[in-house]
Amino acid sequence: MTVNPMTEMTATGAVMVVGGGISGMQSALDLANSGFKVYLVEHAPAIGGKMAQLDKTFPTNDCSMCIVSPKLVEVGRHRNIELLTHSDLTALEGEAGNFTARITQHARYVNIDKCTGCGLCELACPVTQISWFHEQTGEDGKKKKLKAKNKRLIRGPSTPQPTTLAKWTFRVDEEKCSRCGMCHRACLHGAVNWQKKEIASIDQDRCTGCGACYTVCPEKFQAITISDAPELDKNLGVAVRERSNEIIKRLGTPNQGVSTDCIRCGLCVLMCTKVMGIGALQMVEDGIEAGLDICQVCGACQSVCPVTYLNVSELTDKTPRPLLNTFNEGLNLRKPINIFYPQAVPRVPVIDEASCVKLNTGECGTCQAVCGTGAIDYTHTVSEKEIKVGSLIFSPGIEVFDASIRGEFGYGIYKNVVTSIEFERLLSASGPTSGSVMRPGDSKHPRKIAWIQCVGSRDNSCGRDYCSSVCCMYATKEAYIAREHDSSIEPTIFYIDMRSFGKNFDSYITRARENNIRFVRAMVSRIFEDPQTGDLELRYVDGSGTRCSETFEMVVLSVGIQVADRTRRLAETIGIDLDSYGFAVTDGFTPMAASRPGVYVSGAFNGPKDIPETVCEASGAAQAASVALAPVRNTMLAAAPVVHERIEEPGDPLRIGVFVCHCGSNIASVVDVETVADYARTLPNVVFADHPLYTCSQDSVERIKELINEHNLNRVVVSACSPSTHEPLFMSTLQQAGINKYFFDMANIRDQCSWVHQLEPEAATQKAKRLMRMAVTNVSQAKPLSELEFDVEPTLLVIGGGVAGMTAAVEAAGQGFNVYLVEQQPRLGGQLVNLQRSWDGQDFAPFLQGLIDRVEDNERIRVLTSSVVVDQTGFIGSFESEVMTPTGGSRKVKHGATLIATGAEEYRPDLYGLGELDNVMSQTDFERLLVEDPDRAASIGSVVMLQCAGSRCAEHLNYCSRICCNQAVKNSIGLKKINPAARIDVLYRDMRCYGLTELDYRKARKSGVNFIRFDPDIEAPAIDAGSAAISVSLTDPSIRMKVKLSPDLLVLSTGIVPRDTEELATMLRVPRNSNGFFIEAHAKLRPVDLASEGIFMAGTAHGPKNVTETIAQAQAAVGRAATILANAKLKLSGVFSTVNAEHCAVCLTCVRACPYGVPVINEEHTAYINPALCQGCGICVAECPAKTITLGRYLDENLNAKLEAYQAAAYADESGGA
Amino acid sequence: MLPCTGRIDEAILLKAFEKGADGVMVIGCLEGDCHYVNGNIRARARVERVYRILEQIDIGPERIRMYNLSAGEGSKFAAFTSEFVEQVVKLGPSPINLARQREAQVS
Repeated sequence: MTVNPMTEMTATGAVMVVGGGISGMQSALDLANSGFKVYLVEHAPAIGGKMAQLDKTFPTNDCSMCIVSPKLVEVGRHRNIELLTHSDLTALEGEAGNFTARITQHARYVNIDKCTGCGLCELACPVTQISWFHEQTGEDGKKKKLKAKNKRLIRGPSTPQPTTLAKWTFRVDEEKCSRCGMCHRACLHGAVNWQKKEIASIDQDRCTGCGACYTVCPEKFQAITISDAPELDKNLGVAVRERSNEIIKRLGTPNQGVSTDCIRCGLCVLMCTKVMGIGALQMVEDGIEAGLDICQVCGACQSVCPVTYLNVSELTDKTPRPLLNTFNEGLNLRKPINIFYPQAVPRVPVIDEASCVKLNTGECGTCQAVCGTGAIDYTHTVSEKEIKVGSLIFSPGIEVFDASIRGEFGYGIYKNVVTSIEFERLLSASGPTSGSVMRPGDSKHPRKIAWIQCVGSRDNSCGRDYCSSVCCMYATKEAYIAREHDSSIEPTIFYIDMRSFGKNFDSYITRARENNIRFVRAMVSRIFEDPQTGDLELRYVDGSGTRCSETFEMVVLSVGIQVADRTRRLAETIGIDLDSYGFAVTDGFTPMAASRPGVYVSGAFNGPKDIPETVCEASGAAQAASVALAPVRNTMLAAAPVVHERIEEPGDPLRIGVFVCHCGSNIASVVDVETVADYARTLPNVVFADHPLYTCSQDSVERIKELINEHNLNRVVVSACSPSTHEPLFMSTLQQAGINKYFFDMANIRDQCSWVHQLEPEAATQKAKRLMRMAVTNVSQAKPLSELEFDVEPTLLVIGGGVAGMTAAVEAAGQGFNVYLVEQQPRLGGQLVNLQRSWDGQDFAPFLQGLIDRVEDNERIRVLTSSVVVDQTGFIGSFESEVMTPTGGSRKVKHGATLIATGAEEYRPDLYGLGELDNVMSQTDFERLLVEDPDRAASIGSVVMLQCAGSRCAEHLNYCSRICCNQAVKNSIGLKKINPAARIDVLYRDMRCYGLTELDYRKARKSGVNFIRFDPDIEAPAIDAGSAAISVSLTDPSIRMKVKLSPDLLVLSTGIVPRDTEELATMLRVPRNSNGFFIEAHAKLRPVDLASEGIFMAGTAHGPKNVTETIAQAQAAVGRAATILANAKLKLSGVFSTVNAEHCAVCLTCVRACPYGVPVINEEHTAYINPALCQGCGICVAECPAKTITLGRYLDENLNAKLEAYQAAAYADESGGA
Repeated sequence: MLPCTGRIDEAILLKAFEKGADGVMVIGCLEGDCHYVNGNIRARARVERVYRILEQIDIGPERIRMYNLSAGEGSKFAAFTSEFVEQVVKLGPSPINLARQREAQVS
């Protein structure tokens, strides 16, 4: 890619990423870590996308949230990433290098800078429904009182039993009383004394505290006062919620359906009349009288009722519209003020304009009253801003197919028919059922569950002809996980073809079969519900042609993925081309470049794909989007503040500061934080202790810095929430105050005390003290750790000169890095030399020649052919490798990162005379014949193609080679073009034409190619290949008859095998799987990284893939390498293992124990652990028999100190002290 | 909290008993899912060794147990903890703590 000299002068060193799913996040992180400012724009209130909604991920069953949340936190905290959530791109002007993007930020009504994400507002908000708001302002501009015409008495099983639990005191203000007697008439307990024309008074002995008097006292007098009501200083809404919670607590466990009698607490009436300003409810002798026509159906009364007396649907003449939680796919309710999901970044709620009472009528305001940081601002409006960027990455993601379009499955009508994404939420521990598999219809635990595949995929009838690529795997995963939750579940998956084409996917399916998951090859034609039981009868035709009917308790529809209408409109705004399904149009050789220059696309919007391929494209898009901006790298970044660290003198006294967080009332409502802070002050060396309302709020963090200086603190302990989310924040606070950031410890008294011991406040406080004491003792033992800085060599070593290696070399050179490209063969080209055309019909030869020219002409690239890398030393950022050159000599090269692109080749099994007979050939041979010898091709009357000839079997390759189905389809169409009369029979097991290649499969079938399925476990095709004639016989399941074929040609789809890399892998100490493909650092989120930092891979060395996927991966690998090479210096983590050489017995235990092969025996004959390579797990520390290895931060001293403190605190408790 | 259960050695586990613990739970990643490849497998072996030591010195092997959980399994964690606490409560204070109590009474 050449850089226009004009844009080079003026380009903007910033990139906008639109869409904050896993794709957008990965692009943003890679760009931000390679010197570019990133604006990440997300329509939703928080980033995370679809992946955050998933429970587990295939094929490793990793917990999706566990692996994505560190990314969320990293994006949220990255200095170079500006998050624009709840925002939309509305225009993109200018050109590549110099775009101006217009962003609309929707009103959030919550100030992101002030909010700490404590969630109190959401708990306090009483609204649960979408209301019908009344026009209450009269013509005179004054508020009209609503009068009910249609009333209904709500009775319980027996008459109300008035309660005085947590009673408030009501009094008459004599000066304000107008002597009207309304209160007297309203009181059902005769507690209000009143005589005509006299001031009323309340008999406190008879008053039950229901507040009827208060609600009827006319607005203009307000003569009734309330006292003894906790939280009333905030507002009445908060006080009502507080009393409701208190009553629930005192009544014992609020078991739904146990207490259905009205307790006449009066909270519903107070809420409706005084908080919502409606007055639709009134307490009467027999219960509650509801004004059906004036009820605004907000649900507030029901949500504050401490018993289960009220039900909003009985209180109105309208049908309530529950406010559904979209993150949980509408399976449970949310509040108008809502944090998108528990781990959301930013963890800041948004107020929904459609349902918030305050924003619509001006009443309520409970959330603002309860917020301790003053973050809620009802005056927010939409704002617009213009941002200048050099390029744009569009990764909007996808939505799922609307299953109600396939009416025969009854989705939306039968309650126990759910979509796969809904099922994903049902499986999730943080989902609506806390991970318990329940039918939505009746909360029953289903035993027999059916999955129906291809709902909205491979379906011409509803305009979704493409394959969604992920459903076969996710359905299997859901079935697998469902059985993990409840082993009595019997899953059945109804499918057409099992498209488990990815790396390790087939073995996952095998494991699923072994785990009693039943696979039935059939398309379900209809579902009928038994209205009595809610069970579902499925009708289908099985493999033998028999019509079957089977009953299941629950059905999951494996809905396909599609591009949302909003995304199509956005694409139009951006000005990029889409195909008829809405997917981005890109070229097979530049897979992430959209039709408008400077705009790049990635993720499932760029064709259906799973998470690893999405992550791969995301890194690739980051690379593609930044290559033209390389000259303006590092021009838009905010400089990190440099603070000099105070150096501790030996003998300096310890001065520990302790901060015990209230977290609003999250912690303080259970744990007595003041007592904990008092206790802290009694501990040795603690010179300061405080209990901030929110320790993590911006002002508190600033205050901590001041306090550190004021009190000359040199150690800090925070007793608050989870270190996994908040430790980095506090550690950087210490750093900014000039203290070593490892002089810090955190006690989690929220998750471990207030949340789990809610009903035992004293025990929770005791435990909080112990945990805090352990942290204080631990921090007393802390050692200052330093993070070493070292220079980075901005050079990439690429091993392998095929399409992956060459693409990577050109891109890396474009990024401004030097490249050594080492190829074992005398010439560049790799496997592509043997191939003719790409899946989208482009010729490889000119592309390949162009690529070779660009490599050879690039002065930054040094090509070493007929050469081999024989040794590598060093670590990330600073490697040195030895390359054997054709002369037999060797040369040493320095580089900061390594890329393995060693590729693969066609498998040539000894099958059916392949290689010996002229009429038996591989797909690659056949492809060459079609191009090079069209005359012979035209003379071929009939061809049989045998799929999986050597793949997916124990004797040959036990994996799926992924590309062969598409190759067969491509070559079939190719032959049909030359000779339309040719008969082609493709014998297959599953046609794995994933994604948009399904369209070609369809095209091939339409052009008359005959596809015959076989199952080698039942009957493999009998093939007799002789030099004279070939005969093939097998059973065609579609006609259920034996067929005999005598083709002119037998074409074998043989699959692909990796090149021999055993020596290379051993030398680089990177693992390969049993098939010889390199193993990625993480199957989902680090698809091109190897476990050893600084080493990457691309192309078929990773696993079988086509050229487009290979190019994407090569670009991704360069994108990842750029996060290292673009830095002048790198910093190592301070937490690594160190060997004390004095006691090392050179027993090699650490060498053997380390899972990363880091420890070595050095020249001084002791074990040595390179800090740059150490991952910091501590396994060697525990294994070392001489106890001579230590891990910073986790020393024996630290652990023993914690245990000592535990014991001391326990004894203090027992002896009554503390 | 530790980077990996693989950091735990037998001495620390025994130290916990010495310092007054009546029971010790070790919780690592799911087997095969270790963030550091195989730290949890090594931890399991160490816990097993401590189990045998506790048996030999009559503290009772039921006082130590290793569990494997993923970060998303909060309710399972609660169930495991309740189960283990119940087991330890049934066993009563550890002999070390009993001896210490007697000592305290004497003095």
